[in-house]
Amino acid sequence: MNKQVFILLVSFFSLQSYSSTAQPKQGQLAADIALPSVGGDTLRLSSLKGKVVLLDFWASWCGPCRVSNKSLVKLYSNYKKSGFEILGVSLDDDKGKWENAIKKDNITWLQVNDGGGWEAQTAIKWQIDAIPTSFLIDKEGRLLAMNLEGKELEKALKYLLDK
Amino acid sequence: MKKLLILVVIALLGTTVNAQFTKATLQATGLTCAMCNNAINKALQKVGFVESVKSDIKNSAFNIVFRSGVAVNIDALKDAVEDAGFSVGSLKLTGTFTDMKIAADQHIKVGDVSFHFLEATEQTLNGEQTITVVDKNFLSAKQFKKISAATKMACVQTGKAGDCCSKEGIDPGTRVYHVTI
Repeated sequence: MNKQVFILLVSFFSLQSYSSTAQPKQGQLAADIALPSVGGDTLRLSSLKGKVVLLDFWASWCGPCRVSNKSLVKLYSNYKKSGFEILGVSLDDDKGKWENAIKKDNITWLQVNDGGGWEAQTAIKWQIDAIPTSFLIDKEGRLLAMNLEGKELEKALKYLLDK
Repeated sequence: MKKLLILVVIALLGTTVNAQFTKATLQATGLTCAMCNNAINKALQKVGFVESVKSDIKNSAFNIVFRSGVAVNIDALKDAVEDAGFSVGSLKLTGTFTDMKIAADQHIKVGDVSFHFLEATEQTLNGEQTITVVDKNFLSAKQFKKISAATKMACVQTGKAGDCCSKEGIDPGTRVYHVTI
């Protein structure tokens, strides 16, 4: 079973590496992110070590991101207590719209903002060419998978939480 | 020799556009959300005569600014969007016009292309004006079907002058852009 999940993760990453060679590589330590949260305090990705983290790039104006939020709400409430955290990085220029979307979508996970759309520094650094784009990060801060959704995301998440 | 040079210069002046496009607003459509993808942005930025591209989230559109003094190839904008895996849903071009006489269902030669105004009142265009391209693949199939009914000429389907306007001195191979104002 564990082997299966691992193969799944590997296959996802190799698929990604074909489409865009400059993406962060699987197994690499995630580059740190330090951005303001809704309250204005700086939040660091590195402060979440010890948890399995889904790093989720999105924006309030991105329809598919909003749809994805719905399923993330469920996943988050089911696995939060087991050591799962989501860090949403919004590329919204308009902070008000970002905050409204957080309320409307019932987002209770961590949220930071890097305005500027595709030109946002974090978006450039992480080679974000489409949203939503997400990275699954293990307890040690290593990048393990990208753009997993639904059952595959849950499967991989369980595997990493149990490890 | 001098005479020849003068003739060449006159010929060149004769083909100088009297409509210089400066910017455009483009909407893209596709199976996925066009604004959620940077591909269109990047593809448009690679087009030689494009100076800058900005996403207008509010209107789900791309605001394109052209390099000044460089000829704009309208088809190249469509090709860029299609290469990115999307289609053009709407394209509005803004430019400076000089004494461009237009009338409904008539061809106007501008440089080496022609513009065919569908559903336009007779007028002379001067100063800054915005036109909408209504050629096939520049708007939805449904909209195209509706608007293309405004002319009986074959060029609306082919985008080429064909034998429609040889009397007006328009070569059959000339690209005809169908537009409204």
